[in-house]
Amino acid sequence: MNSPKRIAINLGGGYVPGLNAVLHGAVLAATELGWEILGLRDGYEGVLFPERYPDRGIVKLTPALMDSVAGASGCILGTAARTDPFHVRRVNAANAVEEIDRSDELIAWVKREKIDAVISIVDVPALSILWKLHRKGLPTVCIPKSAENQMAATQLSFGFNSALSFTVEMLDHARQAAASARKIGVVEVPGEHAGWLALQSAIAVCADAVLIPEVPYDLARVAARLNQKILDGQTHGLVVVSEGAIAAAGHILPAAAHPLKSSLSPGATGDAGSHVIIHAGHAAEIVAMNLQLLVKHETYPLVLGQVAKGGSITAVDRQLGIGYGAAAVRGIQQNQTGTMVSFQPPELKFVPLAEAINKFRTVPPDSVFMQVARSLGIALGD
Amino acid sequence: METAPNNPATLKGTVLNIQHFSTHDGPGMRTTVFLKGCSLRCKWCSNPESIHPKPELAYNPAKCIGKTECGFCIKECPENAIFTVDPDVKVRINWDLCTNCGKCVPVCPPQALYSFGQAMTVDEVLAEVEQDSSFYRDSGGGITLSGGECQLQADFAAALLEEAHRRGINTAIETAFNVPWENVEKVLKHVDVCLHDHKLTDPERHKKWTGVDNAHIRENWKRAYETFPNTKFIARTPVIPGVNDDEEHIRAVLAFIRPYKNVVDYELLPYHRFGESKYSFLGRIYEMDDFKPPTPESIARLQAIIDEAFGRSPRAQAPSNSTNP
Repeated sequence: MNSPKRIAINLGGGYVPGLNAVLHGAVLAATELGWEILGLRDGYEGVLFPERYPDRGIVKLTPALMDSVAGASGCILGTAARTDPFHVRRVNAANAVEEIDRSDELIAWVKREKIDAVISIVDVPALSILWKLHRKGLPTVCIPKSAENQMAATQLSFGFNSALSFTVEMLDHARQAAASARKIGVVEVPGEHAGWLALQSAIAVCADAVLIPEVPYDLARVAARLNQKILDGQTHGLVVVSEGAIAAAGHILPAAAHPLKSSLSPGATGDAGSHVIIHAGHAAEIVAMNLQLLVKHETYPLVLGQVAKGGSITAVDRQLGIGYGAAAVRGIQQNQTGTMVSFQPPELKFVPLAEAINKFRTVPPDSVFMQVARSLGIALGD
Repeated sequence: METAPNNPATLKGTVLNIQHFSTHDGPGMRTTVFLKGCSLRCKWCSNPESIHPKPELAYNPAKCIGKTECGFCIKECPENAIFTVDPDVKVRINWDLCTNCGKCVPVCPPQALYSFGQAMTVDEVLAEVEQDSSFYRDSGGGITLSGGECQLQADFAAALLEEAHRRGINTAIETAFNVPWENVEKVLKHVDVCLHDHKLTDPERHKKWTGVDNAHIRENWKRAYETFPNTKFIARTPVIPGVNDDEEHIRAVLAFIRPYKNVVDYELLPYHRFGESKYSFLGRIYEMDDFKPPTPESIARLQAIIDEAFGRSPRAQAPSNSTNP
């Protein structure tokens, strides 16, 4: 017989649609076990800066509270795009700005509050920070979230299905716009390291081409395919581009209007590296500008960017989120801390955090989605 | 007399870089010593490697020869912060895991991994500075301490400048004055020329763009002008379009400095993006992607206001282009 536990839950990193579903699953599962579950506002900011919150940054989560927000978009706890307890910026007594390590304070708070474990819903950057906290003594079970489905060691991250549905809808809109304008729309979708969102949405709308980070592209091949379709009477086109798509070696393209960049993630390598996002919209600009020189129709870039990460939750994500939340509680019950809940159909398993660190779930060359795209005649640029 | 803790042979500071033949960091030809650590977080900073006080890792992937040829750094890193993603052979840094221990630096043959910042004694710094001493005599130059905020390492800076004076070298500093007054008292008595920033007038806007409001800084300016009448002060503004390139700010700075006769000039430093690539080498985001350098016309317009205030005809020369706006 397990003794009642006191656990907490928070979100690390960026947002995806419908995060309340994960909370809902965890709260119901914890309540079933007779446990108390607390919500930490805005990642760890609720703990580190309680003075900023009327409720001191901590919310007691109950089934009744979660029922009241079931199906709502957003998240009642809030997200902080960058909550890093190891580098907390402050102005000190000498009026100097500095970044200090408050991780010990955080771990001490968890112990003082007698919290047995923290469930964190994390993306790739937040996972690294959680891993460091875990190594310092934070008992945790985490849940993967990624609109791009790029978290390693799980088949499906929470939020991907909702982002995919929204992206498909937007691509339909983009196609209608392209058809009306008699142009080729080049639509950039999230995907710095992994092209799942671009590839699966391109298949869903039967786009003319899809360019993903895993397949360096030769625009001449894309143009050849588009020109053939134009010769056959097609009046417009739709090209889907992952934000991390790159030209193949020997086919480096002139830079678009914004030659400068931001290093965005643990996977970025810098100016000369292959996985650097210049800024949202750069990939679409480069492809649209250079493709226009090779095809008979005009091209124009469109960027979904962060828009694809908000909005309503789909039924698939709702089930997945509730399942992930409940599984995380089960992980704590089974003393599986230091793990991530991993969806390996048909099961939800627990994998050590280290298995997901410094890795990305990318599209393999023999992926069934690649095969489907090729069989549909969607150009991949290779 | 020099006290033991300030012994130039033993007192160490964290030095980022020593730059020879600088022409925009004070009078004449100068040797600029960049000290590490800054108390502001100006979004336009062109020396991001100078911000944090301790040595830190940087990575230039263009130089990496890849894990198949090398890969020593991956084995050496105790934090699991260096990795690769197939099929890319170049290593990547997980900056969230990196602790700047520096163990990967000596095992990187192509020096793709390197460290910003090293501990140096006063004597070691001056040994390098004095290599340029013949240029100082002809040009009226000398040593300039920059940063970062050089007055944060007040004991080291004071000892370095005092010893430079003892060796007959003209001294200058570049500072934003966001330091405790005790630091200013230690440093400024050894300074011939003090180049100092007036970044923004409005306190709230100052806080938004630099991280703190300017009340303490303004107090330091005033006390410094009054306490060190024999020091030449040169006010400067890094001109960032849309942030502080308005006449109101320039006129406010002039109103502040003109009552003090030891504030001998006011220079404009046009915003530039030369430091941008360093942000990615450090795994940081450059937040000024959408900002462009000011036009020559806008600089000329602001410069004319300054020239008028100083009672001189408009300058023919281009504005200063310091390495440290």
